[in-house]
Amino acid sequence: MRTVLAILVVSALTVAAPKGAAAHARLDHATPKVGSTVTAAPKQVVLTFTEKLEPAFSSIEVRDAKGADVQTGKARGGSDRTQLRVQLKSLPPGTYTVIWKALSVDTHRTQGTFTFTVGR
Amino acid sequence: MSSRIVRRGLIWAAAMSAAIGAASAHEIVGNRMFPATLTIDDPGVADELALPTVSVTKTGDDPSVRQTDVSFEYAKRITEDFGVSFGTAWTHLGAPGGPTGTGASGFQNIEGALKYRLYKNPAHEFVLSAGLEIEFGASGAAGVGAEPVTSYEPAIFFGKGFGDLPASINWARPFAVTGAVGYSIPASSQTVSFDPDSGDIDTELNPKVLSWGGSLQYSMPYLKSSVVDLGLPDFVNRLIPIVEFSMETPVENTLTSDTVTTGTISPGILYIGDTYQVGVEALIPVNRESGSGVGVIGQLHFFLDDLLPNTLGRPIFGHGVSMKGG
Repeated sequence: MRTVLAILVVSALTVAAPKGAAAHARLDHATPKVGSTVTAAPKQVVLTFTEKLEPAFSSIEVRDAKGADVQTGKARGGSDRTQLRVQLKSLPPGTYTVIWKALSVDTHRTQGTFTFTVGR
Repeated sequence: MSSRIVRRGLIWAAAMSAAIGAASAHEIVGNRMFPATLTIDDPGVADELALPTVSVTKTGDDPSVRQTDVSFEYAKRITEDFGVSFGTAWTHLGAPGGPTGTGASGFQNIEGALKYRLYKNPAHEFVLSAGLEIEFGASGAAGVGAEPVTSYEPAIFFGKGFGDLPASINWARPFAVTGAVGYSIPASSQTVSFDPDSGDIDTELNPKVLSWGGSLQYSMPYLKSSVVDLGLPDFVNRLIPIVEFSMETPVENTLTSDTVTTGTISPGILYIGDTYQVGVEALIPVNRESGSGVGVIGQLHFFLDDLLPNTLGRPIFGHGVSMKGG
């Protein structure tokens, strides 16, 4: 056990991942939060990723329980390019599905879905 | 202890070593990231470097021998769906292992592999790949059990995430399974050798071996990004608790070899960084023939497609950008 850990630690320190390397853009956090229930209907969905994005090739769709789109317009990037946001119609109570696709600046594609609920 | 028994034990040790060193690529399918597994190959085709993979075990010999393996594997995509890999392991056997009973050190055989991604279904987080693994006989040191005979192992790999389960069982959606089944065919059905102890000529049949393994994993990254963000610390949100199993069953040409299934069950944990992963697992032998105590395996694994996206980390042919998902 000690041998294994010692070699792993030394290796990690020797060849630590260099800062600045790009990677797949993972969803770091979202507003509304993934899986959350909010009391007030949100006006927009904001997604923050672990990497900078190409907003023109990234998208967010938000759908209600019947599958109808409830976003208005296209997703836009934020000032630091790790954020993607889309404005929403006035949302009645219900569960909504966020479907996102992201292209990081190094051309890695990722995608994901999650839900949030607007309570009564 | 006769040299024949020592040799047979070493062959099992080498087989175990080869199985342990078979980790490979991670894979992203829809919402799901399948991590690189440590004791079996996973369904991924990617640009990656596993360096090092370190394991310490006690062999199934009687008396048991402490075995340390340090291995690496480099995987390179030729196209988006087709990749090649190669690797080897350095082995140290403690006393009374090795031909002289005082221990031995040396490299195992060089191993190469081809893998093709046959099918990918992002919506259902399912991926299926097929591969051919080749162990180049006599490229390693016989003293640590490297086989003198080349073997070919066609194999099938799959991964399935459970993100498509209904929302009523949200807690189960971060689960995923992977599996690998291969059939190792030696290039020669028998090996003839001279036994210096007895002066006899030994003929040993080289068995065909069924390799089968799998993993059950629970992805905290998936829980946070696709099910519910519980506000846990970032370190916890990057962990994947996992249980792997890796087995080998000689099924043909077994007249002069054991026929018992050997293998390990390996509970452990993986940490997923942006450009690398680190994993540590226990190696629990399933029977006495597989080992005489709980071993340990650890791996540092680099995602070259993330570290070097414009050079080594991209396919040689057919790298393009589209938004069809994946």
